[in-house]
Amino acid sequence: MDTSHDLEGVWVFGDYRNYFQNRVTLQLIAKARDLADKLDTRVIALALGDKVHQWAMEYVAHGADIVLAAEHPDLKSYQVETYCSVVAPWVEAFQPQVFLAGATSFGREFFPRLAKRLHTGLSADCVALEIDPETGLLLQTTPGFGGELLAEIVTPDHRPQMATVHPGVFQERPHDPGAVGRILYPDVDVVPETRVKLIRSKRQQTRQAKLEEAQVVIAGGRGLGSKENFERLYELAELLEGEVGATRPVIGSGWTDKERLLGQTGKTVKPRLLISIGASGAVQYTTGILGSENIVAINRDPQAPIFNMADLGLVGDANTLLPLLIEALRKRV
Amino acid sequence: MNIAVCIKQVPDTPSIRMDRERMTIIRDGVESVINPLDYVALQAALDLRDRKGGEVVVITMGPPQSEEALREAIAAGADRAILVTGAAFSGADTLATSHVLAVAISKLDPFPDLVLCGAHTTDSDTAHVGPQMAEELNLPQICGVNEIHMEEDYLTVKRLSDGFVETLQVSLPALLTVTQELCSVGHLPLGDLQIAFSEREITQWGPEDLGLKEEEVGLRGSATQVWKLSVPPPRREGDLISGSPQTLVDHLIRKLEDLSILDEEDGYKS
Repeated sequence: MDTSHDLEGVWVFGDYRNYFQNRVTLQLIAKARDLADKLDTRVIALALGDKVHQWAMEYVAHGADIVLAAEHPDLKSYQVETYCSVVAPWVEAFQPQVFLAGATSFGREFFPRLAKRLHTGLSADCVALEIDPETGLLLQTTPGFGGELLAEIVTPDHRPQMATVHPGVFQERPHDPGAVGRILYPDVDVVPETRVKLIRSKRQQTRQAKLEEAQVVIAGGRGLGSKENFERLYELAELLEGEVGATRPVIGSGWTDKERLLGQTGKTVKPRLLISIGASGAVQYTTGILGSENIVAINRDPQAPIFNMADLGLVGDANTLLPLLIEALRKRV
Repeated sequence: MNIAVCIKQVPDTPSIRMDRERMTIIRDGVESVINPLDYVALQAALDLRDRKGGEVVVITMGPPQSEEALREAIAAGADRAILVTGAAFSGADTLATSHVLAVAISKLDPFPDLVLCGAHTTDSDTAHVGPQMAEELNLPQICGVNEIHMEEDYLTVKRLSDGFVETLQVSLPALLTVTQELCSVGHLPLGDLQIAFSEREITQWGPEDLGLKEEEVGLRGSATQVWKLSVPPPRREGDLISGSPQTLVDHLIRKLEDLSILDEEDGYKS
């Protein structure tokens, strides 16, 4: 067993239940590498489950110095309370400075309870993480206050500094099969949650939208005014071989399905071109599109915040422009 | 079946605007509403009570004007309401907020069989307070529930979690957070406003009623601090074009050509 000093660095919770969650974990290991280098400390990834060796190997190949692993039949299914019974004593024993998890469904259910047990601070769904050069504190940037603001949050006196992180904001490192790291199996005392029983779990039967991989994304907002107007976006997307995304008010109005939600509680996209139509540009939406290489925005209000991040801003009525644009594109086919 | 529902009064978000010079939220003319998912939690609680008996207690922590939200909940059918308020509570992060609410719930007599919350709020959207109350109250938690069935002495619930449809059984007492899909009802019936505004007393609890010290609540009881608020920086200086619809479409077509998404001569590149 290592001395606890070796384990006090930047921790990442290993979330691997599906492909997407695994990618988020690898993104966080890459970011943790960057933070740990600035703090002159180590990256420690956690892997809990009934069989986790392959995940532990993967975390090392993606930049973890050490993996803390726990294998136990009761850890097979993700259960908040059971996982807390393993992780909370580890944190108390090894004293990490920073502890990150992906803002997946599980991460956002597990981390609040864990942070409360550890009596420390937690920020939600961060879109940026940095180390403050003066204090060495983790600067946690999170959208808030109705979506118009970014808040920079710190945890000055409590440890670890905990954060859940929005999927897709950091880039994972390439898989390096030659990477060297240690995989440790500390003693664990698993206390299973008997008050909650998982009766059934099956994969959701919906096609995976290709939104995240699309080279062109057409994003529609409430300014389109109606479901009929919103549906024109599918036509435009088809002409440009793109996919359609939407803001939260659009989902709330039932104009399209939830899978197309962009932003803080939805998907993050990084297409070559994003065309934002009839969305004013609330932060909860724009956090999901900021990584786009090019942004064109169409909005009636010249003051709309969306124009602050657009390479090309068109001040006009979307519902007048859309038919003209579609017609012009049809002629070009 | 006694149920406690935690609600929060939030700004009606679509109308939120920033004063970009003073970096403050413009509150004039911004209406406050019950957080939409807390409405769903309230509706679910009222349904369960109507079928199984018991009472629904609505509880909020906030400034005195949060009483409006509680009155609205009473008008919709809640049996009683508790306003947890006091200057010492302000500036609380989720650690301190969940502490105050958990202490208030543990003071309820009888202790509720079920605590319901919205899965998240529309303002800060942390989704922390539900699970953090569950931790302090030593209750089992299930977040993001979209179906609740009352069995003999336990609940069967469904939820969607990371692409898995899960069916779970949970013993009581328990804490659940609920999503929009739980109720098809978008709006509560307004109920009897006269009862809500004249006859019903709203219980008020301050720090002393709850036996809370100043250092464990509000800003002092918080582990996190907000260092800086900012509007997202302009991404880059882009062109802003006004003009006739045709002019705008021409600009967009040119942009598509520049990016080689649209080919200048022969139509599309694949």
